[in-house]
Amino acid sequence: MRRAARPPRLGPSAARGEGYDASVGTDATCELRRGDGAPLLVLLGGSWRLAGRLPDPGDVERELDRARPSGVAIDGSGVVGWDSALVAFVADLVDACRARSVSVDVRGFPAEVGRLLEIAEEGPAPPEPPAAAPPSGIERIGEQALRREERLGDVVAFVGESALALGRLVRRRARFRPQDLWLLVQQSGAEALAIVALVNFLVGIILAFVGITQLRSFSAEGFVAQVVGIAVVRDMGALITGIVLSGRSGGAFAAQLASMNATQEIDALRTLGISPVEFLVVPRLLALTAMAPLLTLFADATGILGGAVVGTTMLHQTIPGYVRQTAAAVSAGDLVGGLVKGATYGLLVALTGTLRGMQAGRSAARVGEAATAAVVAGIVAIIAACGVYQYVFFLLGW
Amino acid sequence: MTVADDVLQVRGLTMGYGDRVVIRDLDFRVRRGEVYVVMGASGSGKTTLLRHLLGLQEPVAGEVRYGGEDFTRAPPEDRERLLRRAGVLFQGAALWTSMTLAENVALPLEQFTSLPPPAIRAVVRLKLSLVGLRGFEGYWPWELSGGMQKRAGLARAIALDPELLFIDEPSASLDPPTARRLDALLLRLRDALGTTAVIVTHDVATILGVGTRALFLDGEAQRAIAEGPPSELREHGPAAVRAFFAGGAAGA
Repeated sequence: MRRAARPPRLGPSAARGEGYDASVGTDATCELRRGDGAPLLVLLGGSWRLAGRLPDPGDVERELDRARPSGVAIDGSGVVGWDSALVAFVADLVDACRARSVSVDVRGFPAEVGRLLEIAEEGPAPPEPPAAAPPSGIERIGEQALRREERLGDVVAFVGESALALGRLVRRRARFRPQDLWLLVQQSGAEALAIVALVNFLVGIILAFVGITQLRSFSAEGFVAQVVGIAVVRDMGALITGIVLSGRSGGAFAAQLASMNATQEIDALRTLGISPVEFLVVPRLLALTAMAPLLTLFADATGILGGAVVGTTMLHQTIPGYVRQTAAAVSAGDLVGGLVKGATYGLLVALTGTLRGMQAGRSAARVGEAATAAVVAGIVAIIAACGVYQYVFFLLGW
Repeated sequence: MTVADDVLQVRGLTMGYGDRVVIRDLDFRVRRGEVYVVMGASGSGKTTLLRHLLGLQEPVAGEVRYGGEDFTRAPPEDRERLLRRAGVLFQGAALWTSMTLAENVALPLEQFTSLPPPAIRAVVRLKLSLVGLRGFEGYWPWELSGGMQKRAGLARAIALDPELLFIDEPSASLDPPTARRLDALLLRLRDALGTTAVIVTHDVATILGVGTRALFLDGEAQRAIAEGPPSELREHGPAAVRAFFAGGAAGA
């Protein structure tokens, strides 16, 4: 059978295909012959190349299953060119026959094919396949629940260990390097300032527009400064800052610790008798808990500024007037409450980030997963904490 | 030997980082079917040379040729085509950790052939069997020992039946018996697949065990100071080369 014109293919594979075609005249062929009672004869011919087209080994297997022959003879005397494609096909066929307890005879192949088949055969016995029966639906639910409890235990243990390490820090017995702390303060605090300011500025603008739209129906759009001021200072400043920090620092913390896990750096700390929680987790908790309220302060200012931009351009209010209205609406209690929330969110982001990093498996692939999980867990924790704060502040009349 | 028998040629290659020259004026050719060893002490530029042969680093001067074709000055698509004749086993095996062994070996086949999935599975099974990893298709790289990772890396390197196999420090971080078994495997695959191999190593046992010819790089002299069959170099090579062999044997 002559090779038909190849369909055009995209990408570099086309180049290789042509290179091989130049030296290859015929496609690989696989012909099945059987007589009554005689063994099934599998005649291989043509050129067997990885870059060419190959017969489907499934055809032979189906023939084996259709009527079990007394034996199989694989004849390669018609083969004119070959590479691993041929060896793989024959090895597959031999395996298929053995699996069906059909005797198999391989003949007429180049000596090297026989040698490769030999090497492939003689390796150590394959490992035990993993547990055969997949667990039933109910078993899976049970396993999930058990694992969840285990994970919850991990979380509790981690939080406890962190608290103990912080306690040791107060008694000046915790071990970490001060320069690490300053670097973290810089990375998660100062370097986050621009993005925190930008996002909160935009949130201020959005809140102002939402406020104006609703207040207009009462002809009360002049009160937009109060709405934006209260919303930003009490909640949105801290919340948005927390979410930005979760994406920025929480993910980074998880990735840093997970890659240290993968390269056994954490094991190296442990064997020196240095607690990784003290050395790696505590400085991150301190840095983020200290920086988050400061960033929240900037977030409040830029959020109000965003509202002022809308107030002055859309409603033609004056800047001093807008600031006076905001100052009258926002109390010191609102401001302090917002900063407390900010510190909480910072602590939660640092905790989830470092926890996911410490829990990560010892491989490079786990680094990305840890970072993703940390960001998700961080944001969920922040929103949940925000809900709890709403309720508590409401009860306290704060 | 005609030029057509040279799978790889290096002409007047000078390598360096910025102003610092590592090795200058390197000339050698690798003939079809041989196991060519590049040896030298740590820091002599062995791995740098390998990076140049693979186009991961550009030479200061000179050229690398694959089977008579210029590789160094070739446009990117020609380089890709030439590199597809080569398989590489990296020092740390460099298996992709987000893929199982079967997926690691299958990736080059999926990308560069038009084989249907059953045929790819058959080839993957064969290649893993050839390196003694039959039945490990579904394993993840981190579930394997260092020696098994190396062998899996080898299975990936020979996935496309390369005409040229580059191997960086095959025995690094392996115990001596495991390293010798890997050497033996390399030789058997070379014989059966007809592959030419370029091995970069400082392991004297590997050099003597598998090398057809060897090139000795001297980092201090910044050039290659000897080339020839390893056993001959050990007996009659320059003093530095003999000392290298003696030190390696004493340390082993």
